[in-house]
Amino acid sequence: MAQMLAPEMTMMQSAAEAAERTKIEVKNLNFYYGQSKALKDITLSLPERSVTAFIGPSGCGKSTLLRVFNRIYELYPKQRAEGQVLLDGQNVLDRSQDLNLLRSKIGMVFQKPTPFPMSIYENIAFGIRLYENLSRSEMDGRVEQALKRSALWNEVKDKLNASGLSLSGGQQQRLCIARTVAVKPEVILLDEPASALDPLSTAKIEELIDELQADYTIVIVTHNMQQAARVSKQTAFMYLGELVEFDKTEKIFTSPGEKRTQDYITGRFG
Amino acid sequence: MSQHTVAAFDDDLQQISGLIHGMGELAGAMVGGATRALLDSDNALAQRIVSDDAIMDARQRELDDRAISLIAMRQPMANDLRAVVGAIRMAGDLERIGDLAKNIAKRVSAVGQSTVPRELSHSIDGMAQLVLEQVRGVVDHYSEHDADSLATLRNDDHRIDVKYTSVFRELLTYMMEDPRNITACTHLLFCAKNLERIGDHVTNIAENAYYVLTGEQLPANRPKSDEMAAPVPAA
Repeated sequence: MAQMLAPEMTMMQSAAEAAERTKIEVKNLNFYYGQSKALKDITLSLPERSVTAFIGPSGCGKSTLLRVFNRIYELYPKQRAEGQVLLDGQNVLDRSQDLNLLRSKIGMVFQKPTPFPMSIYENIAFGIRLYENLSRSEMDGRVEQALKRSALWNEVKDKLNASGLSLSGGQQQRLCIARTVAVKPEVILLDEPASALDPLSTAKIEELIDELQADYTIVIVTHNMQQAARVSKQTAFMYLGELVEFDKTEKIFTSPGEKRTQDYITGRFG
Repeated sequence: MSQHTVAAFDDDLQQISGLIHGMGELAGAMVGGATRALLDSDNALAQRIVSDDAIMDARQRELDDRAISLIAMRQPMANDLRAVVGAIRMAGDLERIGDLAKNIAKRVSAVGQSTVPRELSHSIDGMAQLVLEQVRGVVDHYSEHDADSLATLRNDDHRIDVKYTSVFRELLTYMMEDPRNITACTHLLFCAKNLERIGDHVTNIAENAYYVLTGEQLPANRPKSDEMAAPVPAA
C-alpha cells in the first residue's frame, strides 16, 4: 500500500513545490518621483505561474510597483528605483540588464487598449520580428497561435488585414494581450486591464487570465476588489507606498490579518 | 468598528443582526416556556409555545431572504461576509431549537396529570435551566463580540450531557419500578433528549459566532459526556 501511494505523493509534492517557486522577488525596494518617496521598503515574493493582484486606494503605489518590474519608469525623467527586483534570481534593476531582453520576458498591458495603428496581423508580427527571423508561414502560425491564445482568433481570422483600431474596446484589449504573448514572455503585467471595458468583455479577459496563468506569471493591478478576488491566488494590499498585507487571496478576502486591509476591502476606508 | 462609507450597508447588516437577536430571545422564551408547561402540566402554555414556532419559522425565512439579498447587492467581504454567512447558519440552528421546544410542548398533554415524582421534576428542571442559560448566553456573547466567552460556553455543553445521562438513568429506574410509569416516562425521555439536542445546537451557534468574530474555527474536539450514545466500534 505504501509503495502504491509513493509515486502519487511525489507528484503532489512536485506540484506543490512548482506552485510555490518564486518568479519575482522584491527586496527592500524604494522608489522616488524626484524627491518624493512613492514606494517604501517593499519586500515580497511572487510565485511562478500564478496570478498576484495588487490592490489599494489611489496613490498607494501599486501601479508604480508594477512599472518597476519592466523598468518602464525609465522612460520618464527623475524617477528612480533602489533595492532589488530579482527575476529568476537576476536583479532587473542592475545597470547591466539588457532592457529589450527584459521587456521581451516581461510583457505589459495597460488600462487603455493600445493597439498599433497597423493591421491586426502586423500588430502581432511587429513584436516577433524584433526578436526572431521567421518565414511567412512560420509567422502566420505564430500570429494565429497568439490570437487563439487570447481568445480572439475566431472573431478576426477573416479580417487579419483590417486595422487593429477597427476592433471594439474588448477586442483591442485582447489584441494587446495577444501581442504580449506572441513574443513568449515569462511574466505578464496587467495594469487595470478591464476597467475601460463592459462586463462581458471583462469576463472574457478574466477567463483569459485564468487560462494564461498555466503558462505565465501574471501580476494584475486593479481597483475592482471583486475582480482581484475572482482572478488571483494571492493579493497584496498597499497603502501610501507601503505593503500593508500580502497573503493568499482567499485569506485576504475572508479574514485579513490587518485592520487597514479589512477596512479597505469592506468599504470602511476614509 | 468604523462605519461603512455607504451607510445603507450598515443598516442592512444591522437588520440581520437584529433578526438573529430576536430569534435568540424567542428561542429562550420557547425553551423556558416549554419546560415550564411540561413540569406544571400547563396545556394552555404548551399551546402558545406550539404557535410560537410559526413565528420562529417566519423569521428564519425573512433572515434568509435578507442575507441573500445583501450578498447579491453588497458583495460583502471579510468580517461582513462572515457575519452574513454566520447569520444564515445561526438562524438555522435557532429555528431547530424552536422546533425542539415545540416538540417538548406537544408532549405536555401526553405526560398529562400522571404523578411525576418531585425528584425527577427537579432533575429535568435543573437540566432545562442549564440549557436555558446556554441559549441566552450564546446570543448575548455574540452581541457583545465576546469570543472567549463563546469558546467557554461551547465547552460547557458537557454539563448538559452529564445531566442528560443522569435524567435518563432516573427515568429507567421509575419505568422498572412500575410499568404504569412507562408511557409518561417515555415522553419525558424524549423531552430530555430534545433538551440535550438544544444544547448541541447552541454549541453550533457558539462555533459559528466564534468564527464570525475571529475568522478562526474552534478546535474540532470538545468534551462530550453523553454516555447514552452507543460507542463507535473500534476499526
